[in-house]
Amino acid sequence: MIKCVVWDLDNTLLAGIYLESAGQPPPADPQMAGLLAELAARGILHAVASRNPPEAGAHAQAQTGHAFAAIRCGWGAKSEAVAAIIDQLGLTAESVAVVDDDSLERAEVAFAHPDVLVLAPHELAEAVTWPQFNPPAVTDEARRRGELYLQRRARSEEAKAFGGSRDDFLRYCGTAVTIAAASPADLPRLHELSVRTHQFNSSAAQVSEEEFGRLLGSPERRVITVRLSDRYADDGLVGACVVRPSGGTWDTELLMMSCRAMGRGVIDALLAWICRAAQAGAATEVTLPCVISPRSVPLRIALTGAGFRAAGPADARTRTAVYARRLDEPLPAMPSWAHAAADLE
Amino acid sequence: MSEPGSGGHSKPQEAGETGVITEVRALLAELTGDERPLTAPAGTPLLRDGIGLDSLGGTLLLTYVRRRFGVDVAGEDLNLDSLATIGTLAAFISARLGGQA
Repeated sequence: MIKCVVWDLDNTLLAGIYLESAGQPPPADPQMAGLLAELAARGILHAVASRNPPEAGAHAQAQTGHAFAAIRCGWGAKSEAVAAIIDQLGLTAESVAVVDDDSLERAEVAFAHPDVLVLAPHELAEAVTWPQFNPPAVTDEARRRGELYLQRRARSEEAKAFGGSRDDFLRYCGTAVTIAAASPADLPRLHELSVRTHQFNSSAAQVSEEEFGRLLGSPERRVITVRLSDRYADDGLVGACVVRPSGGTWDTELLMMSCRAMGRGVIDALLAWICRAAQAGAATEVTLPCVISPRSVPLRIALTGAGFRAAGPADARTRTAVYARRLDEPLPAMPSWAHAAADLE
Repeated sequence: MSEPGSGGHSKPQEAGETGVITEVRALLAELTGDERPLTAPAGTPLLRDGIGLDSLGGTLLLTYVRRRFGVDVAGEDLNLDSLATIGTLAAFISARLGGQA
């Protein structure tokens, strides 16, 4: 699924060449600007990577009326600009499409990032009908995604200027993490998270709305949601888990979190809650099967930080290792900005 | 690009563990924007209390380590035991560099 389109400017998003139009920079290409607006309405982000001075990015924003989630203008390789955007927005390469009129630039990006979808402008009109440009569920969170990334940009710029620790910064931002039982209204967003999350998803399987509905109705399971807000933005539902208490063991069958919540204490709060709720429920152990891949590294680091250990090597077929955490050792602390809703007390 | 760890895959000049630990401290200082890791003892934990890396910071650190030393810590160490302290990470990298020599 494509989450972000990275646009070239000259003769792509702009109908002309920025630096060759002294005093009168070119307007937006109407067809490309139309496709950009259409994709933005589907919850897809937009970014700019251009060999131009920084003012060209501001010019493109003014011409298209779209506030880009990231802008990289400079004279380095296009592939490096694309890599920086992927890093900045917390994306994976296969969720990114690059649109560029220059065939050499396209080849350079495709060589450096084999998983990135590289398109010429004339190919984009058809590509927008492909399944990977059509997210199945367009939720409120998805429609507001571009806006949320902008707020994230503001937050990360402030974080750089902030001198204290990460925890101090999260407190300063008024971060609020709310853990609550899922309700039927959450089903579309839960499905969307299962499709869109990769770096923080313990399972490789996508889960349909119907399946989440069944899990929600199952007396053996608890579906738990996490919401995140701070004074920059209300990110809404950013994560969830499905746990199955069984005797002395709470098995966390699924744990997932949006990558835009990365670095904001959400996963730590959720893991701490699971351990504490399991202990309160008289369990002695929490287990969590996790797919082992380069993408799951952030989740594995969070598991290590919360005291989970892999019981053995990953299964060769499913690439899944079972992590476990005993509850007779000191439990991870709930951050001061996280709280569980009343229905979980 | 002036990101930390972008110095390519060249081997550190001093391949011993002492050289690696110095470089790990420098990567941590760049990553956290704080000079304290430069003088932190080898036994300082990397996650949570200690340097205070979260999963995002830990992932960036492993990315820098792969760029700088060509060692894929996450691919080789399932439990990420090497992320316990500055010293354990440096020892893991040194052992892999030694094995390649």
